[in-house]
Amino acid sequence: MIELPPTILQIILNFSIGLIVTVSLNIEVGFLNLPQFGRLLAVLSGAIVAAAVPGRILAASMGLPWDANYAYHLYNFGIVAKINNMLSENPGLSIGILVFTLVIVALIGGLIGYLSAYPALRLKEAYLGITLLAFGELLMNVAWNYDPLVGGTMGVWVVDPFRFVGAGGARFTFAALFIFFIAIAIYIYAELLARSPFGRTLKAVRDAEVAASVYGKDIVKIRTQTLIVGGSIAAIAGALWAFFTGSMKAATYTRLTWTFWPWAFMMLGGIGNNLGVLFGVFLYTVSRTAIILYKGTLSAVIPIDPEWLEYIMIGLVLVAVVLFRPQGIIPERPTLTLPEHKIEMISKKFNREEK
Amino acid sequence: MLDLFVKAIAYSSCIGIGAASITLIYNTTRTFNFAHASLIAWGMYVVFASTYLIGYTPYHHFLLAALFGGLIGGAIYVSVNRRLLKAKAKEITLMMSTLGVDLILFGFLNVFSDYLLRVYRLPAKYFIFETKDIVVSLGSLSIRLIGLVAPVVLVSIVALLHTFLTKTKLGVSMRAGIENPELASLSGINPEVTYAIAWLLGGALAGLSGGMLTLVVTGYTAAGMTMVVSFFAGAIVGGLYSIYGALLGGFLVGLGEYLGVSALALLVGGWIYAYRPAIPLVVMAATLLIQPGGLSVLWGGRK
Repeated sequence: MIELPPTILQIILNFSIGLIVTVSLNIEVGFLNLPQFGRLLAVLSGAIVAAAVPGRILAASMGLPWDANYAYHLYNFGIVAKINNMLSENPGLSIGILVFTLVIVALIGGLIGYLSAYPALRLKEAYLGITLLAFGELLMNVAWNYDPLVGGTMGVWVVDPFRFVGAGGARFTFAALFIFFIAIAIYIYAELLARSPFGRTLKAVRDAEVAASVYGKDIVKIRTQTLIVGGSIAAIAGALWAFFTGSMKAATYTRLTWTFWPWAFMMLGGIGNNLGVLFGVFLYTVSRTAIILYKGTLSAVIPIDPEWLEYIMIGLVLVAVVLFRPQGIIPERPTLTLPEHKIEMISKKFNREEK
Repeated sequence: MLDLFVKAIAYSSCIGIGAASITLIYNTTRTFNFAHASLIAWGMYVVFASTYLIGYTPYHHFLLAALFGGLIGGAIYVSVNRRLLKAKAKEITLMMSTLGVDLILFGFLNVFSDYLLRVYRLPAKYFIFETKDIVVSLGSLSIRLIGLVAPVVLVSIVALLHTFLTKTKLGVSMRAGIENPELASLSGINPEVTYAIAWLLGGALAGLSGGMLTLVVTGYTAAGMTMVVSFFAGAIVGGLYSIYGALLGGFLVGLGEYLGVSALALLVGGWIYAYRPAIPLVVMAATLLIQPGGLSVLWGGRK
């Protein structure tokens, strides 16, 4: 198994996770104009499920404690270590548990989206944005304080379904490439969604809600479906992140990293445009890694801790995009139903038939 | 018990004043101000730095915090918000622009705090000013001064705002601009003046609120980010369309956080203390889902 250098791994991982979250955000914000300021909610629920469910199932089947004691930090480390040992010799079971968890996570994320539809149908703009933000913070607060769930302030270790390829570099390379593969699959899905009749309906509702409902589109149903799809995808990102890092601590899931930054990537790349989102996430990931890499050199030139430079940069980019290029670097283009030459061919055919 | 009560009153008053800032800016410019978090934190650090560097008590520097907040508010309006309002940007775009400003302000606040630490050797990462507060004795009771000052400031802000908005020509024209921008501009009121005053006043209220909070909570650069949800909750409980509603709503949310959690602890046990930050969130979500008009419905505000 090839081992990639840590910097490349870091870029691949951050890009992939960022892409998944931002694509999910773009489906809700870009295609339907929902003020989704609670992306954290779905991401965090995905991470919680990944940290709490597969470990408990495996612990129960191995005769280890799986109740509240599972998440107790003094036991948790030993339990997860035993499970990981077992998983490292069982590739089939590892892949099975990974796929099973991702399916459960997608379902839970969808459920979260379905529940978010309740406020989303009653509130608008700032009100809705703040309500969703509050829900995300609430879940974080509960996960941080309710120990039996994911260990509260001590956190828990997450079972490692990638361990069977070996320890160290090989494992991280495999895991990062797996996550990259999922991210690309989700990107293709989102692109297909955007070009499908459903995607065009979303944009119609976004641009002219009244007109769309006059033409018989069920706005309530469309909003609910979009929130379900977005929630599922975002939850998968949370679960993958928890699996990769191998540990889960609720307080590391902040609204800044999992809601506001994806918003910034999306607005930078081009809101409502998947390719733009991809570009925005890539640009940001590379420049962030560059900042971390050249930390020493940078702080010699400017007397500012690079960590704060990152905040200032993202802030400036956000303000500059909003002020000077609100459509983003790659603006959204109207989606054609079919390639132009095909439409021409069809219209020619019709013209011939008329003659 | 008395100490808890005093602290609760002081904290709630600060939340009320900050919530009024959010409401004032949202009402006039449709901008839900995410930069509020950093304005609060900057207010705290202005009081912190000037108390150490200039001297006197923290109380002497509240006005400076308010002035500084007002300046930042004005700068946000001139540099970002004005252009977006001219371009008739959507509410979400306006919100995102203030988020960008918030990140910039947060970055510079950390640079400032690093600078204080490195050059002046001040404990700028975490500071507790509660011990610097003045204790006054009222008969047999001895209470901290902030417990008296904060509510007095809250009440005087209500009185001053009321006088400004109903008795002065500028205030009346500002109210007109809020109620009906088109009609107001037809009768010769420049909406830009209204917007600018809203940002100046809003920034000043946020700075003042942060400055006073130094005597109530632990100061650190992310303090604004942590507390901002309580301010949002206060503004929303107040109805988001009424400044007086926000002052009252913020006050009630603050009381709920401090006294409500203590009352609950007596009922269900001490474990509930950990969930204190959840209280404003629950109150806010409940208000939005049950009665989005908030408290302002009580006096016939928008429903």
